[in-house]
Amino acid sequence: MQLIVDHLSLQYNKGLSTEVKALDDVNLVINEGDFIGLLGHTGSGKSTLVQLLTALLEPTSGTIYFEGEDIFDKSYDRRKLRSKVGLVFQYPEHQLFEENVFEDVCFGPRNLGLDRKSVELRAYEALKKVGMPDELFYQSPFDMSGGQKRKAAIAGVLAMKPEILILDEPTAGLDPQGRDEILGLLRKMHDEDGITIILVSHSMEDVANYVNRIVVLDSGKLLYDDKPRAVFANYKKLEEIGLSAPKVTYVMDALRASGIEVPEDIITIDEAAQAIIKALS
Amino acid sequence: MSIVETKKLAYEYIRRDAEGNVEGITRAVDDVTMNIHQGEFVAILGANGSGKSTLAKHLNAIFYPTEGSVFVDGKDTKDESKLWDIRRTAGMVFQNPDNQIIGQVVEEDVGFGPENMGVPTKEIWERVEESLRIIDMLPFRKMSPMKLSGGQKQRVSIAGVLAMHPKCIILDEPTAMLDPLGRKEVIRAVTALNQVEKITIILITHYMEEVIGADRVIVMDKGQIVMSGTPKEVFSQIELLKELRLDVPDVTMLAYKLRQSGLPIPRGILTQEELISEIEKLKVAK
Repeated sequence: MQLIVDHLSLQYNKGLSTEVKALDDVNLVINEGDFIGLLGHTGSGKSTLVQLLTALLEPTSGTIYFEGEDIFDKSYDRRKLRSKVGLVFQYPEHQLFEENVFEDVCFGPRNLGLDRKSVELRAYEALKKVGMPDELFYQSPFDMSGGQKRKAAIAGVLAMKPEILILDEPTAGLDPQGRDEILGLLRKMHDEDGITIILVSHSMEDVANYVNRIVVLDSGKLLYDDKPRAVFANYKKLEEIGLSAPKVTYVMDALRASGIEVPEDIITIDEAAQAIIKALS
Repeated sequence: MSIVETKKLAYEYIRRDAEGNVEGITRAVDDVTMNIHQGEFVAILGANGSGKSTLAKHLNAIFYPTEGSVFVDGKDTKDESKLWDIRRTAGMVFQNPDNQIIGQVVEEDVGFGPENMGVPTKEIWERVEESLRIIDMLPFRKMSPMKLSGGQKQRVSIAGVLAMHPKCIILDEPTAMLDPLGRKEVIRAVTALNQVEKITIILITHYMEEVIGADRVIVMDKGQIVMSGTPKEVFSQIELLKELRLDVPDVTMLAYKLRQSGLPIPRGILTQEELISEIEKLKVAK
């Protein structure tokens, strides 16, 4: 399982004065086991890339290969892609529609043409995976809290058993605990079930704490593709394009400026605490 | 002088089945008494479902209390004849800028509020210009809002409220959908409105960092106010905040971890500058 993005470009309004290069010659290889943070300011091309990866849009030029096949080839059966690459949209709870949570989660696997027993088994497993309490299975999604709805919506995609899961800002609008729960769930799916995860995020702190690779887009172009530590070392450049480094990176920077010797590549609170204790001892 | 006041405010959502029978009642706001002073910057924190947004919707008469009462600038929100006065005094900005912008051009959008209020044309344009200047969006006045970034759109939403000359602006998670730069822009604008224009700000957010500059932080849980104090006082209580599904700013968390490992760092550190000066003191003491 591998997704290869090959010289991918997408122009809106091509040939008109309003031409916009939403994505401009992007090359990227997404490997099995990756946990990628996809960053970029509003309008940088993140959503366009995500919609191309799931074949919801067609590129102007270039292509994407999934398991060795060109997904934009006329003869390619896109169901192969869609059954293995799951997409959780922003505010996915707005798409819940069934009478109860369990039925909603069944919708996807039922569309795969599975028999009733397997559909229900998958729904059950997915709801268990996201930590949905049993007593809520037959509740109307509309009576649940924001965090629970979000989990129900993610369960709906998990029930499709994707190998790659793409999530567009899955923590937007959640309280801090809800944020930690969703991110913890993603880590568990990555570590225990081997699911490849692409996390679109605006939170540098979340990304620093969870992912093992960061891809940064700017004006449709790929700017960085590296380990979090290496990407956040460019925080001045990141600021120029509307992003930033995690807060603690700035604290460490200021500490160095005032003569306290701490390393340059610190991105999490725990690392920062250890470095300060070491510098003072 | 108080600008917003609630007395024993309670609000119940009533769920009904298809036949209209009552299935259940949720008390989203439960006995909230609070007083917000003219010129204050108040932040409201709370987990999803804690009642923050329901409370906010009472403050400009979108919702009416099931029990108790709400006064905006001395006017009871239940008094329908005062409705437009109340909405003009207390403006509201919501989470999604795309749901709030209706104009084809930035300046038209900003002028929509005062136009609806029957402000004379000449004055509308003066107010539009003034509002866009305050929010630092004047160069964008002729642009289509669709071409703006999230942070810019949200500032246009704020300018639209500002053009109605409110005494108080309520912002319900205005940065939830924005990138880091957009968040910074909005918070900077809101802070300036409070400090320069002396407008009362009520900011609801899930980002702890955004609360540091507030005069007062109110924490809600299960419809009730459970904590209230300066950011320093509130963020000193990390364990309690965690129980309430909340968090503290990253700098506060770092200071807390240092303290836990035995370093003599005081509670309630909020800013990078405070933390660094504490660490420097320790360095000198060595």
